[in-house]
Amino acid sequence: MLLLLNACTTKQVIVEGKFPAPLMNKVPISMGVFYEDAFANHEFFDETKNRQESDWIVKTGQAQVAMWDTLFGGMFEGLEHLPSRPGPGYSGPPLDGVLVPHIEELQYAIPAQTNVKVYEIWLRYRFELLTTEGDTIAVWSMTAYGKTPTAFLQSSVKAVNLAAVMALRDAGAHFVIDFTNHSAVREWLQQSLERSNE
Amino acid sequence: MNKTQVALITTAMATLLNGCVTATVDEMVFNEPTEGIGDASVVILGRRHGSDQDAEPDFIKCVADHISRRDKSIVVMSELDFVNSFYPWFEPRTAPMHPSNLRTLMQHAPVAQRAAELNTEYMIWIEGSTERTDSAGSMSCAISPAGGGCFGFAHWSDEANYEAVIWDFTDLQEVGRVNTNASGQSYMPAFIIPIPIIAPVQGTACDGLGDQLLKYLSRNY
Repeated sequence: MLLLLNACTTKQVIVEGKFPAPLMNKVPISMGVFYEDAFANHEFFDETKNRQESDWIVKTGQAQVAMWDTLFGGMFEGLEHLPSRPGPGYSGPPLDGVLVPHIEELQYAIPAQTNVKVYEIWLRYRFELLTTEGDTIAVWSMTAYGKTPTAFLQSSVKAVNLAAVMALRDAGAHFVIDFTNHSAVREWLQQSLERSNE
Repeated sequence: MNKTQVALITTAMATLLNGCVTATVDEMVFNEPTEGIGDASVVILGRRHGSDQDAEPDFIKCVADHISRRDKSIVVMSELDFVNSFYPWFEPRTAPMHPSNLRTLMQHAPVAQRAAELNTEYMIWIEGSTERTDSAGSMSCAISPAGGGCFGFAHWSDEANYEAVIWDFTDLQEVGRVNTNASGQSYMPAFIIPIPIIAPVQGTACDGLGDQLLKYLSRNY
């Protein structure tokens, strides 16, 4: 009876965590950010293939917005949230550029699937850097990874949450060190700084 | 049964229920402070940059607690607080792998300023983990309206290998290295009730590493 009742249950993780602001000199530009609904409400659903395991829903949207808001706020001198994707006829505050993050893929692994005592989360992002008129300045992909070892008395839900938080922190770290490595971003940044110095 | 008999039986049971652990500690120190670390603080961090590099957070906490419990004058900063204070420069992806990387990191003015505020004298990196190397035996448990119980015998071996590398945060150089290895076998006989006889492998490695680090950091050891 217990086995039957256990079958086909769904484990849900609403990712929660605290994300520190980056310790860095702020880039002296005004950046806009637009979170699409698919990003701000991002969730991942994995249906189990056998009756002994559970379905998983991992909701990362709320934590994504919290992490990226903190990161962008600490990284750029000015940060504006846009209510819609930038496009022709933009009438908001003057901005040097607008970032639009997307989650392309999320994968997870739990000990029940891998026989390794580690919970893991992989994320693949795509970032668009746009002008306020909606023209593309740069597009790039970025991966992030988080893992947490199994621990005594730690539930699988808590462990997946911790792995997701680690992945989000890794995403922030990757963004900070990688942002100016893209030639198109570097050129745009140089032009923006020259404009602000004029 | 008087109190002495109860104490004797309790001690005997506690001794019996601990499996055997063998531990070795190697130390290599280049430049030991003669007067301890004074008012400065120390931070102990786990290396987690690769799939085979995963120092357990509870082991790092165990070593930190071991040091601060034995010498209350040493301020050991919590790993999470330190990593949060310097985010994103000590994440698994970005953490400096060599003291020379630390020198580059200190060229960022906010990072250098935060380091000065925290007054961190030593940074201790711990690499390694505790692994299950072998397990055998079986046990089965059953429950019925008349009662329940377990029968069988299981045993397993654990091995802990850790290395602590001490960096001088002020001079930005490596000043010491301590290795510890511990292995032990645990048993679980079950005759109605399972009786775990656990070898405290990770705890022994923690004590061994903690004692050696205390010798380095404390003027009292």
